[in-house]
Amino acid sequence: MSETLSVNPLCLVEGHGRIEVELDQGRIKKLELNLIEGSRFFEALVKGHSYNEVHHISCRICAICSSVHQLSALNAIEDALGVKVSPQTELLRELLILGGNIESHSLHLFCLAIPDILGYPSAAALAEDHLEVAKLGLGLKKLGNEVQELTAGRAIHSSNTTVGGFGRLPAVAELKEIKAKLEKGLDDGLAALKFLSTLEFPRYASSESVFIALNPPAGKFGFKGPTILTSTGKEFDIHDYRKVCNEKVVRYSHAKQSLFEGKPFMVGSLARVALLGDRLDGVGADAMKMLNLSPPYDNIIANNPAQAVELAYSLERSLAIVNELIEKINLAEPLPEIKVRAGQGTGAYEAPRGSLYHHYELDENGLVTGADIVTPTAQNAANLEKDLRAVVENSIQSKSTEIEHFMAVTARAYDPCISCSVHLIQR
Amino acid sequence: MAKPKVGIYGLTSCAGDQLVLVNCEDELLDIVGALDLKSFVMGQSINDECELDIALVEGVVANQHDKETLEDIRSRSALLIALGTCAVWGGVPASKNEVSRAEFQKAVYGTETTGHEELITPLPLSHFVPVDFRISGCPIEKEELVGSIASLLHGDIPVLTNIPVCTECKMAENICQMVDLNNICLGPVTLAGCQARCPGHNRPCVGCRGPIEEANFASEYTLLLEKGFTSSEVINRMRIFAYPCEGLQAQVEKIENE
Repeated sequence: MSETLSVNPLCLVEGHGRIEVELDQGRIKKLELNLIEGSRFFEALVKGHSYNEVHHISCRICAICSSVHQLSALNAIEDALGVKVSPQTELLRELLILGGNIESHSLHLFCLAIPDILGYPSAAALAEDHLEVAKLGLGLKKLGNEVQELTAGRAIHSSNTTVGGFGRLPAVAELKEIKAKLEKGLDDGLAALKFLSTLEFPRYASSESVFIALNPPAGKFGFKGPTILTSTGKEFDIHDYRKVCNEKVVRYSHAKQSLFEGKPFMVGSLARVALLGDRLDGVGADAMKMLNLSPPYDNIIANNPAQAVELAYSLERSLAIVNELIEKINLAEPLPEIKVRAGQGTGAYEAPRGSLYHHYELDENGLVTGADIVTPTAQNAANLEKDLRAVVENSIQSKSTEIEHFMAVTARAYDPCISCSVHLIQR
Repeated sequence: MAKPKVGIYGLTSCAGDQLVLVNCEDELLDIVGALDLKSFVMGQSINDECELDIALVEGVVANQHDKETLEDIRSRSALLIALGTCAVWGGVPASKNEVSRAEFQKAVYGTETTGHEELITPLPLSHFVPVDFRISGCPIEKEELVGSIASLLHGDIPVLTNIPVCTECKMAENICQMVDLNNICLGPVTLAGCQARCPGHNRPCVGCRGPIEEANFASEYTLLLEKGFTSSEVINRMRIFAYPCEGLQAQVEKIENE
């Protein structure tokens, strides 16, 4: 007997996607994750533009991750032009990335994942029964946006970031204001963790994954590093990112899919916690214990508590950076001098949803001649299909509507960003 | 009075304007509480595609699926509001519309067989259906969104600003990016409402809110050429957010032909 299962549209995610499954005698005949967001061809759109316009265009790939797209683009351009940014700029950029993580993880956890797992159709519905939890989540989300606004000028599509640094630096009074908010945010984060620790995360998606994340220097946890680490024990320079994500065209989807050593792999919070979690101390380490995150990391739905761990880490690390800046920010620091030249460069950060790579080639006038952008959701697509197969196989005895719901929850655990995943690769 | 039936939609886009709504953290529960939110795929898992009083639509029409979705939304909505620079002007996705999508597609996916979408050259909503009201910005400003929703709830037509970024910039007493600092600044031709955020951060305006009514692109273009910028530098900057704007292309062409 053949049967079809379908999740269409996939709700509570950014962008347009659907899942189609064909079953025959209880076996999967076909399973497809269709990312049907319209193609925008960003790599072609940036061609011909000046090195100092690229980050304005590339960030429009995605609003939720616009800051990390901007900084990855700027890192790539600076790499190509041989521009070194100051330690103060690095610190402010790290703060911006942390703000983006606080916002994005709070949005996903409190507006999308928690309502979903507790059986509410939306955050507004959750608020009717659990107003305090909804307010806690929205408050943390707002704080993430405030950190981004302080550093980047606005939360979506920054106006303050530029090649070499920032147009305007935050005043000490503004830093003190955000410090007080982060101190309260840290308390709220702990309250959020307590609530999350009472939730039961379903296990119907259990399946082993290969994990990949950037490797921050000096044995630290973080969202930027010179190399890429895999759970199979390999390490690559970020300039060799193409060795990690070999994209292939998939007939039924507008996003290409990535395989490493012939296998799908996962990037994102769970990958970072699995690879780097033992480097956490402070509230990050406490959060791992509270949420029972420990090996084997074989349940993708644990990406939700892994985001909560990173939320706690990001709040604590932001506070530390703000304290450091209050002590020693140099508001008169000039931007580095930029000498335009031909070249190519790569920039990489850990976006909320996983490793993000930008690569640009410039001619002698600083105009873009080639571009390549590899997003986390594109890298995760193949692994998500693998997990969806596991869901169907693990719960084949369940009713179709239940399996469909399980698949939707599993897909949403990746916090997919479909706008990001749909783009083109032009080499 | 019954709550208005509202749908919030994203066509091909970055979802930034829908995110601005979700970023109204302090107002969100009140806003959602004042509306009968029938459809918001990004924010709720139960959606009803029914007759609507107000549809808010973000993004460009970039493929046949977008076009059909937009036509369907229009057919069942009393008011259709274009949300954001993509929906109003075409935005970044339309910044290179002189190149055919078939060429882009071939460059991306090569000759490999894909079941790809039927692509359409990205254009703003008004190219396909009548649009009742426009809120521009990349992304839109929170205050304009909340203010517009409040006006609509009171049965009024929202009133948005219609002055250039320069006016707000002067009121903020910023150093002039174009005259004093010799940067390509699109403030003179760009719709205000952002409180001149970029010049306020020592950065030139890149025009993300789209052109002001009757923008004098010709004068902006001539001025920047006099300052020593090349034609392609200026055009490249002007095209990022509103390339399909007829006034932009017509005025620049006219000057180049003279």
